[in-house]
Amino acid sequence: MPNYILNRLGQSAVVLVLVSLIGFMVLNLAPGGPMSQFALNPGMSQAELDRIAEQLGLKRPLLVQYIDWFSHLFVGDWGHSFRDGRPVLSVIAGHLPATLLLMGTSTLLSIVIGTWVGVLGAVRRYSVFDTLATVGAMVALSIPTFWFGLVAIFFFSLHLGWLPAGNMYTIGDQSLGDYAIHLVLPVLVLALVNVAIWSRYMRSATLDVIDQDFVRTARAKGVPYRRVLTHHVIRNALLPMITLAGLQIPTILGGALVTETVFTWPGMGRLFLDSLGYSDYPVIMGILMFSAVLVLLGNLLADLLIGVADPRVRLA
Amino acid sequence: MTTATHYLPASRRWAWLANPTLRRFMRHKLAVLGVVMITVLILACVFGPYLLHYNDLSIDIRNRFAPPFTGNHYLGTDALGRDTAARLLNAGRISLMVGFCAMLISIVIGTLIGVIAGYYRGWVGAGLMRFVDAFLSFPSVFLVLVLAAFTKPSPMMITLIIAVTSWMEISRIVEAEIRSLRERDFTLAARMIGASNRWIMFRELMPNAIGPIIVAATLTIANAILLEAYISFLGYGIQPPLPSWGNMLNAAQQYLGKAPWLAIIPGLAITLAVTSFNFIGDGLRDALDGRSDLK
Amino acid sequence: MSQRDDSDKGNSLLNPTRRQALAMAIIGAAGTLLPLGRASQSFAAMAAPPSGQVIIGLSQEPTVFNPHMPHIEVDDGIHWNVFDPLFGISPSGEFVPALATEVPTVANGGISADGLQWKVKLRSDAKWHDGRPFTAEDVKYTLELIVSPNFRSGRRAGHDLLRDITVVSPTEIHWRMEKSYAPYASILSSTFMVPKHILSVAADVNTAPFNNAPIGTGPFKWGTRVAGDHIQLKANPHYHGTQPQIDSVIFKYIPDLTVLYTQFKTGDIDVTAMQGITPDHYEEAKDLAGRTVVILPVATIESVTLNMERPQFKDPVVRQALYMAIDKKTIIDELYFGLVLPTETYMPQQSAYYNPNLPKQSFNIEAASKLLDDAGWKPGAGGIREKGGVRLSFTNSTTAGNQIREQAQQFIQQTWLAIGVEMKISNLPPAVMWGEYWVQSKFDSVIVGNNFLTGADPDTRDYFGSQSTNAKGGAGQNNSQYVNAKVDELLAQGAAIQDVAQRKAVYVQVQDLIRQDLPILPLFQYTYVRGYKSGLKGFTGNINLRIEPWNVNTWSWT
Repeated sequence: MPNYILNRLGQSAVVLVLVSLIGFMVLNLAPGGPMSQFALNPGMSQAELDRIAEQLGLKRPLLVQYIDWFSHLFVGDWGHSFRDGRPVLSVIAGHLPATLLLMGTSTLLSIVIGTWVGVLGAVRRYSVFDTLATVGAMVALSIPTFWFGLVAIFFFSLHLGWLPAGNMYTIGDQSLGDYAIHLVLPVLVLALVNVAIWSRYMRSATLDVIDQDFVRTARAKGVPYRRVLTHHVIRNALLPMITLAGLQIPTILGGALVTETVFTWPGMGRLFLDSLGYSDYPVIMGILMFSAVLVLLGNLLADLLIGVADPRVRLA
Repeated sequence: MTTATHYLPASRRWAWLANPTLRRFMRHKLAVLGVVMITVLILACVFGPYLLHYNDLSIDIRNRFAPPFTGNHYLGTDALGRDTAARLLNAGRISLMVGFCAMLISIVIGTLIGVIAGYYRGWVGAGLMRFVDAFLSFPSVFLVLVLAAFTKPSPMMITLIIAVTSWMEISRIVEAEIRSLRERDFTLAARMIGASNRWIMFRELMPNAIGPIIVAATLTIANAILLEAYISFLGYGIQPPLPSWGNMLNAAQQYLGKAPWLAIIPGLAITLAVTSFNFIGDGLRDALDGRSDLK
Repeated sequence: MSQRDDSDKGNSLLNPTRRQALAMAIIGAAGTLLPLGRASQSFAAMAAPPSGQVIIGLSQEPTVFNPHMPHIEVDDGIHWNVFDPLFGISPSGEFVPALATEVPTVANGGISADGLQWKVKLRSDAKWHDGRPFTAEDVKYTLELIVSPNFRSGRRAGHDLLRDITVVSPTEIHWRMEKSYAPYASILSSTFMVPKHILSVAADVNTAPFNNAPIGTGPFKWGTRVAGDHIQLKANPHYHGTQPQIDSVIFKYIPDLTVLYTQFKTGDIDVTAMQGITPDHYEEAKDLAGRTVVILPVATIESVTLNMERPQFKDPVVRQALYMAIDKKTIIDELYFGLVLPTETYMPQQSAYYNPNLPKQSFNIEAASKLLDDAGWKPGAGGIREKGGVRLSFTNSTTAGNQIREQAQQFIQQTWLAIGVEMKISNLPPAVMWGEYWVQSKFDSVIVGNNFLTGADPDTRDYFGSQSTNAKGGAGQNNSQYVNAKVDELLAQGAAIQDVAQRKAVYVQVQDLIRQDLPILPLFQYTYVRGYKSGLKGFTGNINLRIEPWNVNTWSWT
């Protein structure tokens, strides 16, 4: 086990460094690079721009700049937003809860529904339910999330007036019910794609397990089918799901960005788009790095968890 | 024996019909449906514009927001009075083209890196794969948007940007496949007769990995079409007056209450195209996986 | 109604001595019997404490709360409520005293006859939100901060002409101008005073906590901010001017205009400010029950701005033909639903300096084609005109995202094609567009909305002066690289004169020349469609400012 952990940690560390390298390259790719905030201010002579560049340490060799930038990241100094001067990390932290709420609720929902649909489909292979579920999943995967959101808004909000057209809450009324009703549409839209993915993976994972000898043995021993399912099949089928969950984080983050756009949800995705529009590079870079680190941590956690849960993995 | 013998045709010309892979593919009803759908779509986009009464660029301000089936506007008109059907089909040309080219480029890059990483174990292989992992850590939507926001938008640029953020999955798949293939006997044999590394990689191993590559290719096109739609929807992709399914949705967003068909129709087109590719990909995966014959 | 009603007494009325209380009671009783006009109204208003809440919806987020750092229009909304300038500007263009007791003019000796010596008298009863008194020291600190090299200042123009700023007493300040600069009064009218006792002790003003929790002298105090969502301001009970009647003001950020409109319809927000109701919703909006929708003229002019150094635009005939081939009427009537104002100039029609006698444009494809034919521009390859090796083919850019503007752009592209001009659309994301591409004049042509004036002041040297082109080594906003010696001369003249009538004569000539030269092809003057709940009183536009919530302290609910 320790070997396994060390191995994974080592790999993650390497990937982290590579991630920072890619991030640094992107930062300097931006038009004007780190100097861009000044380039947008007319009336700055070239001499003044040079002086500021010198002050910011931009004349040093790239490698030195990179090491400096990276070490700053480590201690938590991610720079200051061009717009309101606040530290980037606190800007991101301010928007994080909204995104977590959205992502968390929809992931929970999609795991529950996806598992149920997938297992049921596997157990009743090729039945009407299974065929519908499979086709449905594939169509759901193909629907552009933002379009689905627009259509949902048009139908449930503009046409029927049942649900609000956007935002996380109504000012003045921030009760639980208010939050809940604002959550309905975005969570459904975001969950659509995830349910499809989960159900398909769950189906094939369950199929893999169901054909195994130990299941046949259990049934032969007279264990009720229900118990076979819950105690043997699903538990084992859920194992690869842990890895999948880790791998899904970038997709979910991306999906959250799309959903937040359409529903004007005040989360990290919204922040990212606004910062793009205002060329707020520190925040843009901050979010890129933050999401990459999140993904790395998620994968690491998933791999460690599966190492604990599944002996086959750590003894391999 | 395989089922193919039952269908062995008399002449050699049609022998390819008996190919077991093809047979398996044809049995997959959804996949066949997918092929039909995408063929119809492609034909419509290529030839359709010539059959319509209006072209996609002519502005007719007096006739804005005409609902479908007004006069010769089968799908109505948009905010500038342009024919929706014409714009839809021309947009299809561009969106499908971008998707296809992006897929080609990312296949090339992904396969190259995957083959090299899978063949050379040790530092080179591990290093390359960590590099791929690093790229995969960024949600592709974020990366694509950042790149699109910093560059001058054009169909070529969008294609490149999408390709640059799509090759990672392919290289992963290829690398895994090559890693298992390199242990097989034929590789050993090739090395024994003194074939160079390059020969082994690209003449022996890669052709055997074509199966997963093709499956990945169809899924990549599907993803590329969705990505292009999204960036154009946000305003960073294909610029008007060039139509693309994504930027048609962007223009339609504001008029959701007044002219909902402008938003619904392009979305349906995207869903249709992407679904077809997903079906095809699924069918190919089953067809190329020999085990599915045993049940 | 003026911006702040300073004829009222200050805050001593809220903490009276017994004598004062008795006096108040008698006067108050009398006030109910005898109508005292404005005074009684304000008494009644001040007697009741501020209550209630108003929610203002914005489609852009205010993020810069230090009024002297570079910011955008929507941030002004916060600044006008949290801070005060020395004097403000009313919708009719007059200056109204705020922190100053009277507006300095040549007539009252506040400004010397040559425009160089300024003496400003200040109120003695203004307090900062933390209780400390406002004095001339704060004014001196503010004016010096703006031009300080270590401070990321948004605009130095005008302030860099100040010399020898002297605090004569806590309520009086003098300074000398390096040269007479008429627009300075306008600049001062939107220069907010910031507290010396807080900022001078900050380690670095650029990143001081003040920038995220500003303290001013204005009618509203900083409340809370949920970044990316809303900002709340609370009424300042000790305000020296017109007391706010509403206790809580919320600036809610809703980035999508359709959602903004829907929330206005459903009543989730009370007022739509920047960028308001889109023209296509106007028909429906004006008929909504319980809502009042107004159309406010704004000083922003939409134009096609040409890069005068491009070979295609050097020939004045080309520019005239291009202008004649724009179907302005259809754009205004159909695309903008008739809600914007046709114009021939960069000067807003409500300005005192507007020239109403400019030649009217008429859309005429044949005449435009003839003009080009006669000047030797003959159709060449692909039907596009050329002459002397120069093809009339160029790009036009704007920022992607404004739907109607993009539609207008495509429409113009079509009508220009009819006269043999090829315009290629090349829209860019804001990051790319407003960078070097714009500032260093790398574009061919752009469609852009500009406010060419400084407040109400007609000086436009920043836009039309030949020394204001960055690409040629100057500094300013003359990105079209327009050069006209006569215009330079007139603009310099105009800036030095103080008398309005005399200045008007000068600026009328400038507008004639610009209309003739056509470095910009004026399309229309913007109007803002704004809505508010019918129960809200006091909402007025102010064409001399960039935002609507400038007088929230005069708003009340009926």
